[in-house]
Amino acid sequence: MEANLEIKKETTINITRRSGSGGGVLKILLFIFISAIVILPMLITVFASFKSLPQIGSESALKPPTSLNFENYKEVLKSANVFIAFKNSTILVVASVVINSILSTMVAYCLTRFDFKLKKAYFAIFLVGLIIPGIVTEISRFGLMTNIGVYDTLLAPILIYAGADLMQIYIYNQFLQQIPVSVDESAMMDGASYFTIYWRIIFPMVIPATATLGILKAVDVLNDMYIPFLYMPGAEHRTLSTLLFNCISDPRTSSIPRLSAAAVIVMIPTLLIYFIFQKYIFSGIAAGAVKE
Amino acid sequence: MFKNTDLKMQKNLVLVTFLFIPTILISLFMIYPLIRLVALSFTSWDGLNPTKTFVGLQNFKKIIFDSPEVWVSLKNNGVYFVGHLLFIPIELFLAFLLDQRVRFSKMFKTITFLPYIINTVAVACMFIFLYSSQDGVLNSMLQFFHMDKIGWLSDPKIVNYSLTGVSIWKFSGIHIILFLAAFQSLPTDMIEASIIDGASTFKQFYHIVLPNIKPVVEIVLFLNVRGALQIFDIPYVMTSGGPNHASETFTIQTINTAFQYQNFGLACAMAIVLMIIIIIFSIIQKKLFNLKG
Repeated sequence: MEANLEIKKETTINITRRSGSGGGVLKILLFIFISAIVILPMLITVFASFKSLPQIGSESALKPPTSLNFENYKEVLKSANVFIAFKNSTILVVASVVINSILSTMVAYCLTRFDFKLKKAYFAIFLVGLIIPGIVTEISRFGLMTNIGVYDTLLAPILIYAGADLMQIYIYNQFLQQIPVSVDESAMMDGASYFTIYWRIIFPMVIPATATLGILKAVDVLNDMYIPFLYMPGAEHRTLSTLLFNCISDPRTSSIPRLSAAAVIVMIPTLLIYFIFQKYIFSGIAAGAVKE
Repeated sequence: MFKNTDLKMQKNLVLVTFLFIPTILISLFMIYPLIRLVALSFTSWDGLNPTKTFVGLQNFKKIIFDSPEVWVSLKNNGVYFVGHLLFIPIELFLAFLLDQRVRFSKMFKTITFLPYIINTVAVACMFIFLYSSQDGVLNSMLQFFHMDKIGWLSDPKIVNYSLTGVSIWKFSGIHIILFLAAFQSLPTDMIEASIIDGASTFKQFYHIVLPNIKPVVEIVLFLNVRGALQIFDIPYVMTSGGPNHASETFTIQTINTAFQYQNFGLACAMAIVLMIIIIIFSIIQKKLFNLKG
């Protein structure tokens, strides 16, 4: 996997060198234009979060705030329970990522190393999972969640996020296929059991993939609004997304400067993850699509 | 070394312990709800009553023949679908440029993908400000040029286009990254050869590169069908389907039918109709795409 990436990087550099910079200015201008479209809405929001309501009405939105006025942030922190939302989102992310990486690698290990009766069924389920429209099927999942008593607890989203992420199993499957079976065989010669092989060899070998998939999963979970909205209506179970959703209709936080401040707070965790782990995110997406 | 019988035992033990929990979770949270969805679509269940009355195909008949609002909402989904579809060639071209021909590619790649990473509700908040009719950024700009204000989110004729714009802003990045990954998986000499031949950028792109990344284009087209027909967060958070149902999408209606109007049976039938539409649309699109390619 790592080696693969390395090769890809090199080829890109090669092409760049060879093709030179013919007509480069126009292309750069094009990308500057696109970057502006991407960045301006965000910049305007950050600006607005430091302004007062009268300033929003009278000033141009593109005018930077004259001072770093944290009044809106203080007000948001006071009226919305941001810390609980942070805590809940963190619990959901950690639980989903950890459980998911263990369960998915176990399934992928079985699928790539053994022949068994359920194997075909598993591959059929991958296909079904692609077609099922996630949002509307919650209608029939909803009753189940209330019946097993996890409604309005953190367990409800954890079970959904961690339990059946077919896409991740599928991608792990691709990674495990690339590990030659001879690795397993030589470990067996040394007397290792299947359990040992999985835990001491296979699991450590796919850690790069786990990093990638874990980060993608973390971003997904942090940004998901719908499942926490549906299954955890209680105020003490708000996540960052549902907290912000609530801010839109709460008169204490619904004014543009305050809503902007709330949006900035909610954006920060995923943005940090993105800037730190960008490399993994891109390679994960590439792995999901190009190998299919 | 283990004996063969030991190995077989061990294999079965591994299979059972490793697959037990995942299989239960997948069956419980994916397969069972799917079966239940189909079963409930033939009932008039309200979501609470312990008895579920079997009504045959009545729900489906109602959707197809007696629910004009469902078809109006599908038309709204169509706006998202066409909007994104029109952007796919542009995304392809941008990815192609990012792959080889621009300085600062890495930085531009980071920026292009940025919207996809941001929380959808935060994106909605940003655009609520941009589109706001009072102090909104876009209307202030129009005023600056002495043009009339536009009701970006309040005019029923415009609202879907405004929301599609948000959707394109947020999701174009993922398409570009997918296309870029496809370009980078191509062998270098393929592009190199065409450069030596003196093929122009466009010709090189159309005749040499495009045919080779067809599988990824197909994936993106499929993702677009699925995404456009399922769009929910953006309209739900920004307009909750308003003004006066003008921006309701199929999923918003389904969810409201179930949780607001307590008509679970009908909502389940709508979910199944949506699934069938996604399948039919994907097949038609794939056929058309292969015809052209």
